[in-house]
Amino acid sequence: MKVAVCVKHAVDETELKLDQGGRPVLGGAAGKMSTFDKNAVEEALRLKSKHQGEVAVFMVGTADSKKTMKEALAMGADRGVLVSADPAAIDTFRTAEVLAAAIRRSGPYDVVICSEGSSDTYSGQVPPMLGELLGVPYVGYARKIEVSGQSAKIERSLEDSVETVESPLPLAVSVVSEINEPRYPTLIQIMQAGKKPIEELAADAVAPAGGYRQVSVPSMSSQPSTRKHVMIEGTPEEAAAKLVDALVKEGVLK
Amino acid sequence: MAALDPVFAVAYAATVASVALVFLALALFARRGSVSLSPGRLVGLTKDEASRLGTGDAVFLMHLSIALGVGLSISYSLLDPALGLVPLLRTVILVVSLPLALGLVASFAWRVERFVSSKRVEKALGSPASFTTSSSYLQLILILAIALTTTELVLLWFPSLALAGAAVGVLRNVLVAAYYARPSVNLIGYFDKPLHEVRVPFNLADVMAGKTDPDSIRSGVSKASEFDAAERLSFDSCVEIGACEAACPATAAGRPLSPRVLVRKVSLLAGSGGPAVDPFASVGEDELWSCTSCGACVASCPVSVKHLDIVYDLRRGLVAQGRLDKKKSMMLENLAQTQNPYGFKNSTRAAWAEGLGVDTLAANPKAEYLYWVGCLSSFDQRAQRIAKALSTILKRAGVSFAILGGEEGCVGDPARRLGEEGRYQELALQNIEKLNAYGVKKIIATCPHCFNALKNEYPGFGGKYEVVYHTQLISDLIRQGRIKVPPEKVQSISVTLHDACYASRYNSVFDEPREALAASVADLREMHRKKEKTFCCGAGGSNYWYEVPQQKSISGIRTAEAAKTGAKTIATECPFCLSMLDDSTKVMDAAMDVRDVAEIVAECL
Amino acid sequence: MKAVWVYSESDAVSNEVASAAVDVAKGAGAEVQVLELGAQRPGVFASGGKLLLKGPPSSPTPGAAAEAIARAARELQPIAILTGATRTGREVASRLAAKLRIGCIAEVSKLGADGESIFGERNVFAGKAVARVSCPFPAAATVKVGAYPRLAGGNGGLQEKDVGAVSDPVKVVAREAKSAGAVDLKSAKVIVSAGRGVKKKEDLAILEELAKEMHGALGCSRPLSADLGWLPEEHHIGLTGVTVKPELYLAVGISGQLQHVAGMKDSKVVASINTDKDAPIFQASDYGVVGDLYQVVPAIRKALAARA
Repeated sequence: MKVAVCVKHAVDETELKLDQGGRPVLGGAAGKMSTFDKNAVEEALRLKSKHQGEVAVFMVGTADSKKTMKEALAMGADRGVLVSADPAAIDTFRTAEVLAAAIRRSGPYDVVICSEGSSDTYSGQVPPMLGELLGVPYVGYARKIEVSGQSAKIERSLEDSVETVESPLPLAVSVVSEINEPRYPTLIQIMQAGKKPIEELAADAVAPAGGYRQVSVPSMSSQPSTRKHVMIEGTPEEAAAKLVDALVKEGVLK
Repeated sequence: MAALDPVFAVAYAATVASVALVFLALALFARRGSVSLSPGRLVGLTKDEASRLGTGDAVFLMHLSIALGVGLSISYSLLDPALGLVPLLRTVILVVSLPLALGLVASFAWRVERFVSSKRVEKALGSPASFTTSSSYLQLILILAIALTTTELVLLWFPSLALAGAAVGVLRNVLVAAYYARPSVNLIGYFDKPLHEVRVPFNLADVMAGKTDPDSIRSGVSKASEFDAAERLSFDSCVEIGACEAACPATAAGRPLSPRVLVRKVSLLAGSGGPAVDPFASVGEDELWSCTSCGACVASCPVSVKHLDIVYDLRRGLVAQGRLDKKKSMMLENLAQTQNPYGFKNSTRAAWAEGLGVDTLAANPKAEYLYWVGCLSSFDQRAQRIAKALSTILKRAGVSFAILGGEEGCVGDPARRLGEEGRYQELALQNIEKLNAYGVKKIIATCPHCFNALKNEYPGFGGKYEVVYHTQLISDLIRQGRIKVPPEKVQSISVTLHDACYASRYNSVFDEPREALAASVADLREMHRKKEKTFCCGAGGSNYWYEVPQQKSISGIRTAEAAKTGAKTIATECPFCLSMLDDSTKVMDAAMDVRDVAEIVAECL
Repeated sequence: MKAVWVYSESDAVSNEVASAAVDVAKGAGAEVQVLELGAQRPGVFASGGKLLLKGPPSSPTPGAAAEAIARAARELQPIAILTGATRTGREVASRLAAKLRIGCIAEVSKLGADGESIFGERNVFAGKAVARVSCPFPAAATVKVGAYPRLAGGNGGLQEKDVGAVSDPVKVVAREAKSAGAVDLKSAKVIVSAGRGVKKKEDLAILEELAKEMHGALGCSRPLSADLGWLPEEHHIGLTGVTVKPELYLAVGISGQLQHVAGMKDSKVVASINTDKDAPIFQASDYGVVGDLYQVVPAIRKALAARA
């Protein structure tokens, strides 16, 4: 079975720095493998260990995102395809378009796995777009995947229900974090993975840009992240009333 | 004994042969384990054992009774033909045999008690019958060897029963050769290996420099054949004494671990299962994660079995196979991503120091000491008070110091103890690079895990500093009169000190915190398990970051011991101990507060 | 007339998205049309008109919904298609965007438009920053759930459009509701968390009630589950328990050791109640009340009841 898994080198929000105007500084910001993508890689590896075959990792990113690619390879993936483009400068559709072209180029794959969304921007759009662009059936938010023969039985985790669906292969699927516990690759394994093949492609060579108008991000501002430390005084009744008022004003209590 | 009597001649020859067998076995195991039996080692061992006499440790005294009892009876039987000529020597031997016989009787009684409790432990662990049988067999051999030696010493007093004595001695010598020569070799080879010494499977700097091919690295053990000769000698030396089990906090808490059972299982596995056998088929994951690395097992083992080497190598095997639950892998990922095991923004490390006038090294590179704050005292609101208290003391004493602030990264201990050696060395190298760039010479630590790594481990990676523990420095400052506790400021409270394993057992720091407390409080009480015999708080060995199944909590056991002293305050010297014991006092609704030695001293200034 | 389309699989969300669509339509000089697939939905309201697409089943898979809407869109050329940022809504909007080769803005609130484009605001980097996003028409958008009031009525004219039969290779074989009683701290918007300040197990009942009244879940610190066993392990929030990031975290009788704080530090707003004014939890809180939980919690319940 050939499995393609898509990962993103996401901005690590923990160490996000702000410029003088309070805007987040994205150039040179620390990055990491998008949290849920680890579940996607893990699921791909589990499919491989059950059905044999290979796992290829696809990523759109800049040179510094190779760290994430190596991590995915260290987890056990066989090879990587890195399409060079700055993920912060292209929108979800363009990302999906480039990924789809790269996957088609080295495919066909029986299963294409993504996570439900990236930990930095979390739009949740690339996986379904990818399914569409690859022209294969798509199943979102999988919490369990069972492949037998040329079809898959998948449990989808929705807001208030669990849906079981069946789909023929090949298919694209997005997974939720409850599907598995991703393995931790050791530092030495990451260094060893440096020897696995990584193919590097230019985005425009894979899929020429154009033909539609992108989403843009005209401005960005930071939200205060430090705690307010407001001590509420008064009798229990007064304090309770003031607290409830404050929480309603914060918009966290209805 | 009449030298010409043919019966006695045969008996004497048998004695000599059996003694020769003991020496032959010693030589054989020494060669196999590459252990030197040089006089220097033997003198060293003798000195080491003599130095432990003063501790009055019962297990050690029993071990000594057995060793000296065997030695004495062998000497007696070899010297037998000559003793008629030197009657005084015989008298001396008889007199010396008395306390040894007493020690042997005590050992016998203790062995029987251990036998019973070991069976209870095995039942709780669900050990298979084959294991229990093998364990009982070894324990009965030990009981037999003690009984035989005791009998022999008693028989010395009855010359008419010399023949019986010789027979008993020969049988005992055969047992010694068969079962106790290997542990003796292990003891001679490794009695002086420091508790803090961790086996290093590779050097990350060499891998990064391209000197070592990462593919050639095997970290830890995933097959029984991968234990090396020293480890094999170590676990094969276990003769089921059970001192480790008696000292182990994990066993006491009813966790699925007994260091004795672990070591014996690994030995049986490596011995019978063939080289390819999977150690995790018989050693459970939770069994390995139950260990707090407190070192009580290693420190108490009379024959120098290094349980922790085995635990670390098997944990490394689990990590290499990706067998980590989410809590453990998240801790490691946090270390990789944020340089602290909690996932906090590392640049906010120095938030506790705001407004206290504490410099960073960047601002004051000439500071005499670097205060290595550690992650818990940087990010835990409660433990920050330790950092603040130490700063107060240092300022009062006029000690010039600075911190690294956001440049400090986790020392790496949680990664190393969990079995992720690569991540540990990465953090160590990053830290050393910064420390060396600043030309740091002296470091103060308030966390014993940081202290141990900086003092004992970093030199191996190129970081050589003079590292002092805060309790050492505080007691020095008091002794030198650089800080003074005026009589009216001495706190009229009752305090008991909980020694941190990594300060006391690992690094012999235990008198200094007592001196500091003696100067600051009116009533200092001691728990039964103290100093290098301290009992773990339950957080070490990375246990702070995960849970294992247990009957009761280790910290709860310790807090109950502290409560028994009647003291109203538990003094700690480690932010992890503080956190664990503080929680326990709340769970038990004990009217005790828990404070660091530095906090108690700072309150008196 | 230019149209802004609204679609959601859920009536409630559809009525929220319709409110957002009103703002977009106003800016763009367009009208709102709420889509109904397969059959009419009496619970779905529209300020402008409704568009019934005939051909797809009445509760289509996301794939079938996207195909039906795309067919209609190719012909009727709406300037924007809005869905709720639900799991189904995200899939429908994204698939539509891919099919129609248009941009799609995600998780937006404060929507608006000018003659050229649609815009809105969204949280990024785990809520640490707010991005203003914009996309030229035609565009798709997923609208943040809970950000808009629900339209409560009003139905304009009904237009019908036959898009033909649509099918999805993905077949639904079973559907089961998630059990309502299960503790799902990870997705709870409000968490009331109990610490050792709670004197006995029975007293957890009032916190459980409070959690219910706040539409939240009950959590606890480590001692309560691991040591005392008052609550099952899945309630335990902290380093060795679950990590949560609710909108509101109310810590009751929790001292605030790192063990606990590490599991809730990313909560949006933290409030705490503790008798000890020096309790470390106050350092990790936005709002703190120094007081006895046995007095403050009933007072909060009373204050909540007075609002309702």
